[in-house]
Amino acid sequence: MSVQTIQRGGGGGYLSRPAPSGLADVVEVILDKGIVIDAYVRVSLVGIELLTIDARIVIASVDTYLRFAEATNRLDLFEHGGKDLSEMVEDLQHTGASGKVGGAVEGVKKALSPGSSDDEDSEGGERRRPARKSASSRRRTESR
Amino acid sequence: MTGPERGLFLYGVVRADERAAETVPDLTGLDDQRVRLLQHGSVAAVVSEIDLDRPPGRRAELVRYNDVLDGLASSGPVVPVRFGTVLPDDEAVVLSLLEPNGDHFRALLDDLRGRRQFNLKATYVEDVVLAEIVRDDPEVRALRERTRDLPEEAAYGDRVRLGELVSQGWQARAERDSQSLLADVLPLVVADAPRSSGGSHSVVDVALLVDEQYVDDLLERLEGLAEAVHERIHLQLVGPVAPFDFVGDL
Repeated sequence: MSVQTIQRGGGGGYLSRPAPSGLADVVEVILDKGIVIDAYVRVSLVGIELLTIDARIVIASVDTYLRFAEATNRLDLFEHGGKDLSEMVEDLQHTGASGKVGGAVEGVKKALSPGSSDDEDSEGGERRRPARKSASSRRRTESR
Repeated sequence: MTGPERGLFLYGVVRADERAAETVPDLTGLDDQRVRLLQHGSVAAVVSEIDLDRPPGRRAELVRYNDVLDGLASSGPVVPVRFGTVLPDDEAVVLSLLEPNGDHFRALLDDLRGRRQFNLKATYVEDVVLAEIVRDDPEVRALRERTRDLPEEAAYGDRVRLGELVSQGWQARAERDSQSLLADVLPLVVADAPRSSGGSHSVVDVALLVDEQYVDDLLERLEGLAEAVHERIHLQLVGPVAPFDFVGDL
């Protein structure tokens, strides 16, 4: 295909270069592009209506804010991961049975429950990628 | 002429030259139909036959249409015709498309000659940028301390305010980072056009029209940029693709 014709200036592979064919954001975006002819028959055979993209525009809204708030609060374990274990244990001992422990326990519960793998994954570098993907796709679904 | 149940599906308009004539036989159209050139003077429409009674199309048709156009774009300039455009027969294509717009197409194709469209997208690594916002904004920090250990239903007002501040911080960063990324890239391109793929996560989402001789430079620069920012920004480049974002309207 066309992508392979030009290509690849060496490089360390940080720039991602997916093939355009079938990429959702390539294909959907072209639906309303290209020149339009006056006397044309835009036949329903191509099912434009079925393909019409729902408005994915995420505008400033309470919904968006709540998602941001949730994501920000989810950062907990990420930060704790920066401390070493002895510090964390110390923290726990110092705060005793107060709300902080409750929070930590809840965090663990959350991390173990299906569908919220983000928490546990933010500790391990390699596994972070799929977690982010699932987080953002969930967000997209919610925004519809 | 074709009967009433058949029509011509239009992909785009190209210069009627040898390169186009060589490229077209390699392309497969919607419903696996043969793609052909319909020449009129120095320009030609790229078409394939289509059955008007066929069931409604899906994503696969759009992908095929896109592939045909990308295939054409790989050999020379092409002006895409909007997806779903079908005309009854050859004569209609000439009369309603090629003849009245010949000069326009010739000028447009001249403009696009030797140029390629690429789509550049930059997205944040969410956790990293959120952590920056928490670090830099004391009010965000305070609200987060107050809300994070509470059940999700609690402290609604605080959560909304927290999200609002984070959202603002996010947008401010995106604007700044977008400007600085584009400042590095735009000197190498002929034209740029914003693409509207929505989503609050993109820092940059732009179509770039690039002269062929600068394509390697652009790739090299973007590779360097991508490496430099990879901890917080992910860069994606798609293309060359058909120049959808640089053909305007008739």
